[in-house]
Amino acid sequence: MTITMHDTPARDVGDTVGRLVLSGIQKAFGSGGSRVVAVDDFTLTVEPGEFVTFLGPSGCGKTTTLRMIAGFESPTAGSVSLDDEDMVSLTPDRRPMGMVFQSYALFPHMTVFENVAYGLKLKGLPAKQLKEEVGFALASMSLTNLANRAPNQLSGGQQQRVALARAMVVKPKVLLFDEPLSNLDAKLRAQMRLEIRRLQRRLGISSVYVTHDQDEAMSLSDRIVVMRSGRIEQVGAPDTIYRHPASVFVADFIGRANFLDVDDVRADASTGRASARVLGTRITVDAHPKAVAGSDCVLLVRPESIRVRPFGDTEERIAGNHGRVLSAVFYGESVEYEIETEVGNIVAVVSDPTFTEIAPVGTIVGVSFAPERAWLLPAED
Amino acid sequence: MRGRAAPHDETKESPLSIETVAAPAAPNPPLRTSRPRELRHDTATRVVAVVVVAILSLLIVIPVLTILSTSASSEGLAVFASIFSSSVNRQIILNTVILGTIVGALGTAIGFLLAYVQVRMEFRGKRILHLIALLPIVSPPFALATAVITLFGRSGLVTRDLLGITPNIYGLPGLTVVLTLSFFPAAYMNLLGMMRSLDPSLDEAASGLGASKWQVFRSVTIPMLVPGFASSFLLLFVETIADLANPLVIGGDFTVLSSRAYIAITGEYDVAAGAAYSVVLLLPAVLVFLIQRYWAGRRSVVAVTGKPSGRPDLITSPVARTMLLAPVALFAGLIVLIYATVVVGGFVSILGVNDTLTLDHYAYVLSGIGSDAMVTTTTLALIATPLAGVLGLAVAWLVVRKLRRGRSLMDFLGMLGLAVPGTVLGIGYALTFNTPRGFGDVVLIPALAGGGAAFGGAVAIVMVYVIRSSPSGQRAGVAALQQIDMSIDEASASLGASGLTTFRKITLPLVRPALFAGLTYAFARSMTTLSPIVFLTTPQTKIMTSQILSEVDAGRFGNAFAYCTILIVIVMGVIGILNLLIRERPVGRPADAMAT
Repeated sequence: MTITMHDTPARDVGDTVGRLVLSGIQKAFGSGGSRVVAVDDFTLTVEPGEFVTFLGPSGCGKTTTLRMIAGFESPTAGSVSLDDEDMVSLTPDRRPMGMVFQSYALFPHMTVFENVAYGLKLKGLPAKQLKEEVGFALASMSLTNLANRAPNQLSGGQQQRVALARAMVVKPKVLLFDEPLSNLDAKLRAQMRLEIRRLQRRLGISSVYVTHDQDEAMSLSDRIVVMRSGRIEQVGAPDTIYRHPASVFVADFIGRANFLDVDDVRADASTGRASARVLGTRITVDAHPKAVAGSDCVLLVRPESIRVRPFGDTEERIAGNHGRVLSAVFYGESVEYEIETEVGNIVAVVSDPTFTEIAPVGTIVGVSFAPERAWLLPAED
Repeated sequence: MRGRAAPHDETKESPLSIETVAAPAAPNPPLRTSRPRELRHDTATRVVAVVVVAILSLLIVIPVLTILSTSASSEGLAVFASIFSSSVNRQIILNTVILGTIVGALGTAIGFLLAYVQVRMEFRGKRILHLIALLPIVSPPFALATAVITLFGRSGLVTRDLLGITPNIYGLPGLTVVLTLSFFPAAYMNLLGMMRSLDPSLDEAASGLGASKWQVFRSVTIPMLVPGFASSFLLLFVETIADLANPLVIGGDFTVLSSRAYIAITGEYDVAAGAAYSVVLLLPAVLVFLIQRYWAGRRSVVAVTGKPSGRPDLITSPVARTMLLAPVALFAGLIVLIYATVVVGGFVSILGVNDTLTLDHYAYVLSGIGSDAMVTTTTLALIATPLAGVLGLAVAWLVVRKLRRGRSLMDFLGMLGLAVPGTVLGIGYALTFNTPRGFGDVVLIPALAGGGAAFGGAVAIVMVYVIRSSPSGQRAGVAALQQIDMSIDEASASLGASGLTTFRKITLPLVRPALFAGLTYAFARSMTTLSPIVFLTTPQTKIMTSQILSEVDAGRFGNAFAYCTILIVIVMGVIGILNLLIRERPVGRPADAMAT
């Protein structure tokens, strides 16, 4: 199997190489009373060519999990295998994986070319082939004319491209990314995101990417693993995670969320839907399997799903679906309202507003949303 | 002891090879990583740790323990008791503390003045001033003391011939002058490194808030440097109380602990008393060293984030410039005058008495004993330096990268060679290695010191050089390794490099410049050390510094001057050659402009 770095699609996504299976992984630091479990009961299969992101707040164990895959930490329980081969017993240098670090980790005493050539040289590649492959790798990252520079003569974005080329050129079965873009500015980050995704698609290398940035996770991933306190909270495609989060935590962590109090929940297990009273109306919505009658539930409605209808009246009482505008912030492409209602304050984002349509602060507005845009889920304990 | 103080931890450049020290530049290198790290104790690490501990035990721990146990004999305990009862002994301790305090304060003040001028002013001769300030580091013991006696003694060139006075330079005044001149470079380097890493934006922030330059100096600059002052003072204090050469030459009847211990051993042949005085010297020295390293070092408020974010505000007021530069010039002039005396003194019959040019001193020194000593000393120091480098780097690697529990202990053991006063070390070696050591009839270590020692005692001298030099290598190694982000090692591993390959291809090239700089410095230190050596030289193994001592003792200053000059030339020559050898090819094309 060969993977070339130049601009021809070399391998189809969905290849059979690079199936990473993590099962029941646990990592504890310290012992006795000071024992801290950083990762617990982590089970996941990364399919060949798949791009999976570990997303979560800092300290959730996502980096520790990645480092266990790479071999820099060893799990206290559980197994890591790649294409049915056990990885736990292998030291990092024997695992067919490439890693891209947050700090880039370029070798400061080597040129760009030498950095990229390092891994191939260790493999004992003949000089001619080595030069060729490094050349392709550099070209594919638009680094050719920087080949003789030292790392400290490069900008942050260029350094990260070198790190990427260095990790990919050795043709790993799995690529690991440890928050690689967090040292870059926002614009460069967006650009590098696309570049990483393009390259990964083309090479079809299974990838695990750690980030705390939900934009990165949403735009890059085939699947997102949301982590919390060392455990998997939810695994799913970006739209599933966004539309049908498994918990209030996930809903809150990914994007922005309104959690509306609901009354009188009636769930229908056969359809997976439930009906409930909210804002003075009974509606039927999609529901989490655990959102059943009698349980404490909240209704998730994203701010962009809320529709706001200005009345221009200031006297009317807040009741049912009527609320009072507390603030209205104009962002150009959208206007963001905070609206006081009988079920608490609701944030609404109305896109493409014309200036006259903006409801003034203190006025009464009608608040509504399409039931298919809502998701009923159990309230947090 | 003539231990040349190493500039301490904060120092950003080596005194001897300023240009060659290129800090390994990792992109955004965090100094320490806070993430919990898995430390895999592989076999290689265990082997290295065990070997290092064994070597450190042999080189420093056992000799120190031997001193402690010898001093605990009944004669030794009698000396301890007499320290509080005998007024003579109380005076000796008082003398030691007074001398340490005065030199510590004065040396720190001078070091600060020179560093301040260096960082905050532009003037011609700035670079030369820097080199002059470092000159005492490469000079052998007695060079200063002998020259000061010749210049400022009772029949001194300056005092009697120029000013017509005949002061008594022997004792506290002479010691103060000589020791301050000898040791201030450590304070200078320490504070220079610190002031260079001070962020000028703090000064700018203060002046932005309406503070005058004087107020900024008083309320921002000085408080930021307090840890530097403290550590410099403590460093100089330890160096001073540990010094033996100068109290012997210019101390007169101002006896300090080190000279008292020396007299007990070499004059009174009272080993137990010598050990007891050594312990009295050892305890405060190690204590102050610990405070200096682990307390004052930690309390540094200087944020070392890499390059300072601007240029410091230079002092331009003519009045301030004059007030600062005048004493600096005077001081630099004094140093130049003293070293000129050393050089000239070697070429005239008796400087100040019979000023006819002569090569007699050089003829005396270079023929016979002198050339023996030169070759032996240089050879032993050259053997010891790379060994010290390997040992120091091994300790540094264990401390920074491998050990979690016991890393402080390992660090301390490694630095002990610097903390233990040379006099104490020498006596410890003499006590430990005078007789063969082993179990029953099995000799594990033959006698290494004294008459009949293996290799004429050369092994013991190399051991002393190694243990006194390895802390420099260790410190350089620790600083350099901490600069290298763990992820650089991990990147290498993830590309398929084993631990050994990573060490060879990544770690070693990155720490090498700093390590070599530390070692050239250690070489100079070995060449100029006296205090442990006087207890270990044998008729077969002649060491230059102890030869110089006997010349000075015999009043043959001309010979001593010639010796000193030759020693300085050798040290500078070897350092120069080493610097040429380790000059590294810069990475990348410097002609390329910075990337956008």
